Amino acid sequence: MRVLIQSTASGILIGGVYALVGIGLTIIYGVMRVINFAHGELLMIGMYLTWIIFTSFGVDPFLSIAITIPAMFLFGAFLQRVLINRVLNALPQNQILLTIGLGLVLSNVVMLIYTSDYKIITTRYSSSTINLAGLPISTPLAISLLITTVITAILYFFLLKTDTGQAIRATAQDRDAAQLMGINVKRMSVLAFGIGTALAGTAGALVSPTYYIFPQVGGAFTLKAFVIVVLGGMGSVIGATLGGIIIGVTESLAAVYVSSGMKEVFVYVLFLLVLLFKPAGLLGRSRM
Amino acid sequence: MRSTAEIARCARSASLSVAALAASLAFPGWVAAETLKIGVINSVTGPEAPIGENLTNGIKLAEEDLAKSGTKVELVWEDDTGKPQIAMSAMEKLATRDGVAGVVGPYTSASANAVAKLAQRYQVPLLVPAAAKEEITRQGYQWVYRLNAPANVYAQVLLDAVTEVGKPKTIAFIYENTDFGTSTADAGKKYAEKKGIKIVADEPYSKGSPDYRSTLTKVKSLNPELVFMVSYVVDAILLMRQAREVGLKPQAFLGGGAGFTTAQFASDKAISGNVLTSTQWADDVKWPGASDFAKRYLSKFGKEPTYHAACAYASMMIMADTAAKQGGDRKKIRNALASGSWKGIMGDVKFEAYDGYTNQNKHPMLVLQIQNGNFAAVYPPDFATKKPVYPFPGW
Amino acid sequence: MKTFGRIPLTASGFAALPLLIVAAVVAALFVFPWLVASPYLLHLMILLFLSVAMGESWNVIGGYCGQYSVGHAAYFGVGAYAALMLLQYKHIAPWWGVWVAIAAALIISLLIGTICFRLRGPYFVLASIAVAEIIRLVVLNWKQLANGAEGILLVDIPPLMLGGKLVTDWLSKTPFYYLGLILALATLLVNYLVQHSKLGYYLQAIREDQDAAHSLGINLSFYKNVALAISALFTALSGVFYGLYIGFIDPTSVLGVDLSVQMVLICIIGGIGTNFGPVVGALVLVPLSEALRANLLSKFLFSTGVVQETSRVGGFLKENLAHAHVLIYGILVVVVILFMPDGVLGFGKKLIARRARPLSATPTPLVGGLDGSA
Repeated sequence: MRVLIQSTASGILIGGVYALVGIGLTIIYGVMRVINFAHGELLMIGMYLTWIIFTSFGVDPFLSIAITIPAMFLFGAFLQRVLINRVLNALPQNQILLTIGLGLVLSNVVMLIYTSDYKIITTRYSSSTINLAGLPISTPLAISLLITTVITAILYFFLLKTDTGQAIRATAQDRDAAQLMGINVKRMSVLAFGIGTALAGTAGALVSPTYYIFPQVGGAFTLKAFVIVVLGGMGSVIGATLGGIIIGVTESLAAVYVSSGMKEVFVYVLFLLVLLFKPAGLLGRSRM
Repeated sequence: MRSTAEIARCARSASLSVAALAASLAFPGWVAAETLKIGVINSVTGPEAPIGENLTNGIKLAEEDLAKSGTKVELVWEDDTGKPQIAMSAMEKLATRDGVAGVVGPYTSASANAVAKLAQRYQVPLLVPAAAKEEITRQGYQWVYRLNAPANVYAQVLLDAVTEVGKPKTIAFIYENTDFGTSTADAGKKYAEKKGIKIVADEPYSKGSPDYRSTLTKVKSLNPELVFMVSYVVDAILLMRQAREVGLKPQAFLGGGAGFTTAQFASDKAISGNVLTSTQWADDVKWPGASDFAKRYLSKFGKEPTYHAACAYASMMIMADTAAKQGGDRKKIRNALASGSWKGIMGDVKFEAYDGYTNQNKHPMLVLQIQNGNFAAVYPPDFATKKPVYPFPGW
Repeated sequence: MKTFGRIPLTASGFAALPLLIVAAVVAALFVFPWLVASPYLLHLMILLFLSVAMGESWNVIGGYCGQYSVGHAAYFGVGAYAALMLLQYKHIAPWWGVWVAIAAALIISLLIGTICFRLRGPYFVLASIAVAEIIRLVVLNWKQLANGAEGILLVDIPPLMLGGKLVTDWLSKTPFYYLGLILALATLLVNYLVQHSKLGYYLQAIREDQDAAHSLGINLSFYKNVALAISALFTALSGVFYGLYIGFIDPTSVLGVDLSVQMVLICIIGGIGTNFGPVVGALVLVPLSEALRANLLSKFLFSTGVVQETSRVGGFLKENLAHAHVLIYGILVVVVILFMPDGVLGFGKKLIARRARPLSATPTPLVGGLDGSA
């Protein structure tokens, strides 16, 4: 029983990180209908940024989020303007290929600069735990779950209550109608991609004290991010959050009760089942 | 702005080099001179690169020493990027295009096994410095030699060490899902059974996962007295960190070489304390020149050598020396390797046939324990410098 | 005299010159190993043929039918594993094993088709990746099935009776060269046949507008599955060839997502949906990657004096250019998608067509065939 509780707990913790990645992806898809295959690489860039700040200036990874979020936002906006914007009206297959190419370029440029050596961030609390009702909970993961919750709350508030947020949602709901209403949809796309990138980079920053950093780290996260987004419903922030937690717990339980090597198989099988039987996901589309 | 003369010169040399390039592609060896060449296949890039670097540095030190002693060799370096297929291409190039007298390497078990087959086919002497997979020298290949002790010794010496100081009855295996991890763990499982230790968990994991907590929780619930892990550096660190989080507390953590023997792992004192690991070499062992080698390595490269560096150094010294004495003739080199014996920083080296192995050096392995961020040899008694701390005192 | 741009056409509409060129090239390729002894060059050609075969096979489902599968490694790997496992464990010669490989690939393609073809566009892409990953993970973890991470190492290939000649020497590259050449030509032929058949029309209709095609009475899932089956068959053959040639396979090398992406890249960069597109793509990618890996490019730059070997740029290039080939692929893909969506081949055709159009005072209307469309 203890094992069940403990692995569910770890699943929820890691699920929080997955959720943040998924939310970013779902916003990008919701607003621009672009399937961003470079999402994992954006996470990777966030990780390297965190590492650079940590090793050059000694700033704690969680604190450096204050720098990572705006930096990644600007990077995402830049990518959107220069690259993604040009394929907004192209075939979805071409969009996918463009983002695949972008992902390759990002991961390989980083590899050239930093080599494929694995980097590890070691902080005072990297292996410490908090005791919660007799269960050891990883401190860095707990902090990251906290931060994720805060960020999600802020994001939700932004989308629901502010004018820009509502404009983004309107664009996601119906791009043409939004444009007719006077919303600058081009700007919304830039914003959406910027926010998505910032979230991915932040997820990378949050997970960096507990994981290791290498150029190809993005690959594993991209596919999982898609699973989460489809599970939750393309375009739904709450859906992505739920999806992240569900995938985290599924993985965790599969690792315990089947085998660590096969845990991803369960995630992918779940993915296929959702695609086949409930492609709109848990919470449907375009409801942010 | 370049003058027209310079541009003309550039163009001429450009066309000449294109011609030379084409010629060297079409007629291998035409442009090369007749020096004694030894090939090196190593993981210079790719996930095994951090350890591969140790082999590179060890061989570089060997190059220096060979030059000092007047042995003229030219090394042809090939990067297998950690992939067996690329190692095979590299071997083909070395054997057919570069005409090397012999090859040292590769590093990883998977690459070494793949290349061994080619060495046998092309009849090129191959000296494997540090790969653990037993099969490499169990296929009766007359052209393949291995300096380091194979996987079964990794496990054997570790289990012998702990059964010397305690009576553990159960063991759990956590290992990466690769050639190296699987073959070392398999050897460990066989030996554990022989020693009457019950295997309570068998958990292969896909490396690159951020989260091993569930696996470790599961293992913890089975209460193993020994936990045997086979991983490269970063997984070793992650596993131990998360083991600490989860509160896994066996009587001993046993690390099967590779990641557990690196300085990077040891320096993370919060998690590396009292981990036992088996190794092919330590800098304080009483083999001739061992501590000097360590000092030289440290001053030249700024970090301490792992056993891989020592293995690579010794292998290159043996191969180059033999090749030079035999005038670069592959058959003669093979015969010399089969019958010769050497003494160096790896102790006594002699390639023998025993227990189904051919051309295998009966290298004794050591057990090190990380005490306070430093490696100390604790077993076998002939080589021990400190007493082992057993059982594991906790986090 | 009818012309296509500047290319003369015979009375029946066949472009005689390109056909002659193709025939000459093929003949030259057949004679090549007699003239060139370097195993290294032969090795490069073999890699080229393999890439062409992989690209052309993918083209059938991706280019003509418009279903971008990024999980084609599943067929490649299944083919390779089937043939090699039979050879290594049951000592069944690969000449028989190849049929099993094909059968296995066809079964898998039917399964995947049934599951995935209900999904549109990007969802299909994701599903294809997921399926390939599931297969890879199963093979990796189920050790009793296929030796897991340790892979399968071939020890010996049995002799083959090839047109009256007994081939026993699998050490040299020549038999592989010819096998590879035949495989590449076969895939080219299949592509051509598909393109100019009724099947091809149906596939292209499905690609252009699935719903319209459906409303015209085209059985979507049947034709998609046929396209996938053809594609899977030849991808599996490529896998068998790879396994025999390299002699070692493991889940990462033959079932990995990187391989799937590479197959797509060959096609996209060359020119998707065209007969020779994948050939162009292979021609761009294979020599480029080998030139980078073997440091030929850096050596070239140094010897011409463009870059000093000892300078910082030179040092950087020397260390890193060898590993940059994937980066170059990525850049190529981005460039191609943004500026040359018809691939290098399509771009080339447009250039030729533009130059062939006669200059006149009045603008020439775009007549069908002159604007470079296939």
